[in-house]
Amino acid sequence: MLKERLGKELLFFDGGMGTLLQAKGLEPGELPETWNIKHPEEIREIHRQYIEAGSDIILTNTFGANALKFHDESCSLKEIVESAVGHAKRAAEMADPCRKVYTALDIGPTGKLLKPMGDLEFERAYETFKEVMVFGEKAGADLIHIETMSDTFELKAAVLAAKENTSLPVFATAIFDDRGKLLTGADVPSVTALLEGLRVDALGINCGMGPEQMFSVLDQFLEYSSLPVIVKPNAGLPKQRDGETYYDVSPDEFAEAMWRIAKRGAVVVGGCCGTTPAHILKMTEKCRGLSPVSPVEKEYTVVSSYGQSVFLGEGSRIIGERINPTGKKRLKQALKEHDLDYILREGIMQEEKGAHILDVNVGLPDIDEPALMREVVQELQSVTSLPLQIDTVDVRALENSLRIYNGKPMINSVSGKQESMDQVFPLVRRYGGVVIGLTLDEDGIPSDADGRVRIARRIIAEAEKYGIQKKDIVIDALAMTISSEPEGAKVTLETLRRLRDEVKVCTVLGVSNISFGLPNRPVINAAFYTMAMLDGLSAGIINPASGDMMKSWYAYHALMGFDSNCERYIREYSAPQQGQNPGLSGTSKGTEVSLRMAIEKGLKDEAHAVTAEQVQTKAPLDIINDELIPALNQVGEGFEKGTVFLPQLLMSAEAAKSAFAVLKEKMDKSGEVQEKKGRIVLATVRGDIHDIGKNIVKVLLENYSFEVIDLGKDVPPETIVNTVLEQKIRLAGLSALMTTTVVSMEETIRLLREKAPECRVMVGGAVLNQEYADMIGADFYGKDAMQSVYYAEELFQGE
Amino acid sequence: MLGEKMDRRVKEAIRYLGFGKNAADDRTLSMISRSYKELEREASPKHICRVFEMSVTGNGEIQAGKLLIRSRSLIRNLQGCDKLVLFGATLGTGVDKLITRASLTDMAGAVVLQACACAYLEEYCDECQERIGEELKMQGRYLRPRFSPGYGDFDIHYQEPLMRMLDCAKTIGLTMTESFMMTPTKSVTAVIGASPVEERCPVSGCEACSRKDCPYRRN
Repeated sequence: MLKERLGKELLFFDGGMGTLLQAKGLEPGELPETWNIKHPEEIREIHRQYIEAGSDIILTNTFGANALKFHDESCSLKEIVESAVGHAKRAAEMADPCRKVYTALDIGPTGKLLKPMGDLEFERAYETFKEVMVFGEKAGADLIHIETMSDTFELKAAVLAAKENTSLPVFATAIFDDRGKLLTGADVPSVTALLEGLRVDALGINCGMGPEQMFSVLDQFLEYSSLPVIVKPNAGLPKQRDGETYYDVSPDEFAEAMWRIAKRGAVVVGGCCGTTPAHILKMTEKCRGLSPVSPVEKEYTVVSSYGQSVFLGEGSRIIGERINPTGKKRLKQALKEHDLDYILREGIMQEEKGAHILDVNVGLPDIDEPALMREVVQELQSVTSLPLQIDTVDVRALENSLRIYNGKPMINSVSGKQESMDQVFPLVRRYGGVVIGLTLDEDGIPSDADGRVRIARRIIAEAEKYGIQKKDIVIDALAMTISSEPEGAKVTLETLRRLRDEVKVCTVLGVSNISFGLPNRPVINAAFYTMAMLDGLSAGIINPASGDMMKSWYAYHALMGFDSNCERYIREYSAPQQGQNPGLSGTSKGTEVSLRMAIEKGLKDEAHAVTAEQVQTKAPLDIINDELIPALNQVGEGFEKGTVFLPQLLMSAEAAKSAFAVLKEKMDKSGEVQEKKGRIVLATVRGDIHDIGKNIVKVLLENYSFEVIDLGKDVPPETIVNTVLEQKIRLAGLSALMTTTVVSMEETIRLLREKAPECRVMVGGAVLNQEYADMIGADFYGKDAMQSVYYAEELFQGE
Repeated sequence: MLGEKMDRRVKEAIRYLGFGKNAADDRTLSMISRSYKELEREASPKHICRVFEMSVTGNGEIQAGKLLIRSRSLIRNLQGCDKLVLFGATLGTGVDKLITRASLTDMAGAVVLQACACAYLEEYCDECQERIGEELKMQGRYLRPRFSPGYGDFDIHYQEPLMRMLDCAKTIGLTMTESFMMTPTKSVTAVIGASPVEERCPVSGCEACSRKDCPYRRN
């Protein structure tokens, strides 16, 4: 019923609740939801006034009613939600019987920040919302209105909870600042992509600004969204007088602005903080009779992350292919060793080289792909805002990562095989995403363009059955190596052209497959890449670290008018490429700088260059003993004496690391092994999310040839103890930053003593000192990072 | 950027990095200036404040609205005040992401960035406080140095009601973990006393601390 009216007529929300309650005596910090029980008549009266003012939809007094925010001994969450819905429904029933008034279960944010930025698990946020929504639906709410969300991840948890646990229509609005962004960085296209992917019924803006400030955000919603748009402004920007917040846009001014907002295209309008029944009355009087602007279907193919969106169609996008173990020995090793840092660095590197989207594939035999995929996706999203392309054939890995992906991802892939479509499309429907369709089916890969186009059409038709539109499909025309398929490139290019011109769908290719088995592959790859872009390739899966490929990309965009004034091209190629380090860089090719000096001065590039040179003539172990170790010792001593300071110590450590990398490569080739001095577990304890101190210790320990098992931050005592037991660890390093988290450090030590009495424990962190460390039973307190190195050396000596 | 302001920023970062009275080298200095550029781009500083009438109850608690605080060091700081400003500020999640990213690729850079972010946050809080001070001055009130949960015996657990009264999560996106850590991490909550009498040269920040042997001490 409501869904049918949406977008066809102008619907009116109510106005503020909190401001009215404050006027009735609600204290700052008091939970407004307790008033459902304590002052039911006041709540019903407010609803009644709004209905009388002309509201079609009224919000229950449940904005902060969730288990994370709501702690009140006198009443349970269930009672609060049930009474709140009851008040709204009662008020609605008492209104004019000819007029339908809808009760919207109001859902606000949890007040916590989700992982990895905060400590709230996605699933816990989901459960928290689910609980309230289930109560609300049972109590008779007509729809769920999720509002004032400032984080897309929390927004996703709330929408999923509503869609998966109730059958109610779902509205979702977010709070934007004056830059048109959410507090966690998302812009309008990203919020729109996410919410449309999750298939809400209406979306938009509330709170944060007055009506006048909302126009630019509204215009963006109207430009990008195909759904009905909701606008619920405050009565102006908040002002303060005598310590009280107030809003000063009058009912008349508000109504006039809302009339223009409705004219512009918003179809569900109402008020937020500071608006009163008087504002709503004026608004409904002014706007009633205005015919709504029907939402227009948009044809964008867009993927997003928490902070940005990437549109396909104009020019060609770069999908970075480096996080895929096929043919990459180092990445395979990293995946096996659970070396997430390496994977994250590959992500950052590709972003810096110009990738727009990152492909993520962690599939290896004997690996728990569903768990690892989920973890890698989440970690990557803590260091890059590029949208990700989830690349797996494991359906569980796909679902796991789609669930926790913050945004609307690219999905790699579905094929024309019925089984594949049966598995993948339901997931795309549930979580949203742009899915790559491979032009192959039960009969294999067609050898001609006709066959491939036919499969593309079948994929598109099948997707439609699930309500997945063509704009959310990108077809992979498949590049087959010309070393075995002489016509391969021609067929692929023709397929691209016909997909663009006849089917009018976006396209993708794993470009470098074309040269498999040939020498000097970059020559073929780069030429083919240019040809493919010219024939309509919307996105190429390539290695952005390849200079040849990037040259093709920059040149194509400059040549075809996708790079205004050739700005990008000029920025990229006008300056001679230089090293990153200021200082001695560029003075020589490294030969005049000794390795020892390069490390002592912290010159990363030089240390790398000199080592690469020395390794030609000198044994790696000799280089380590004659140059690296003495240099590190020298710097370490300087740090002790107060002549070398932390940034310098770390620059030296990074320089040594780059030298070690060269040596390790050489030793791997010759099968030589450098003995590790010992294995050490490092962790920031449970509840603590600061890990910079722990990371400093890690870099230094690794410099001194210790193998570090880094468990990360916010690590439960059990995880630390289990790792120590399973891997027979003799030394654990724990870090805690605050008095409140030293408690879990103490707990970890207690558990270690009980289960693994042989393991020594060293501790460090801002609030600790020797006395404190003794009190919680640590074996060693490191006042700085070097101390932990000395302690470890001493402990493992003579083994 | 005014030279003087940049100067103070650089000095503060150097102090946080533990250089003490020693001069920083050119490469550290260049990392500092690069860090500030990145911070200017990634930070989205926001703050919120509310002013409450303040009194001290019969059993020695500070009362502001429904908030009751028991802390001897805070009472000392608030001697003679009749208003209390609750204050919250954050640099936003972008800065946390920046630091996480740097610690993967360049640990020295991460450490410098971390120090600069601390200085940047303090500077922002000082600027906010100055503006709040100007407004209150018109009502004949003078501000004391800000005092945060965790200072002296002002228990860190007061962060919870403080943030609730400011509605920090909604207004500026500042939240707290179960162990009372602020997220985004580069954030501050504090109370600022306001008194009808102007104090001469109030000691604030670093100098107000009793740990005279601290290696990070400003003077």
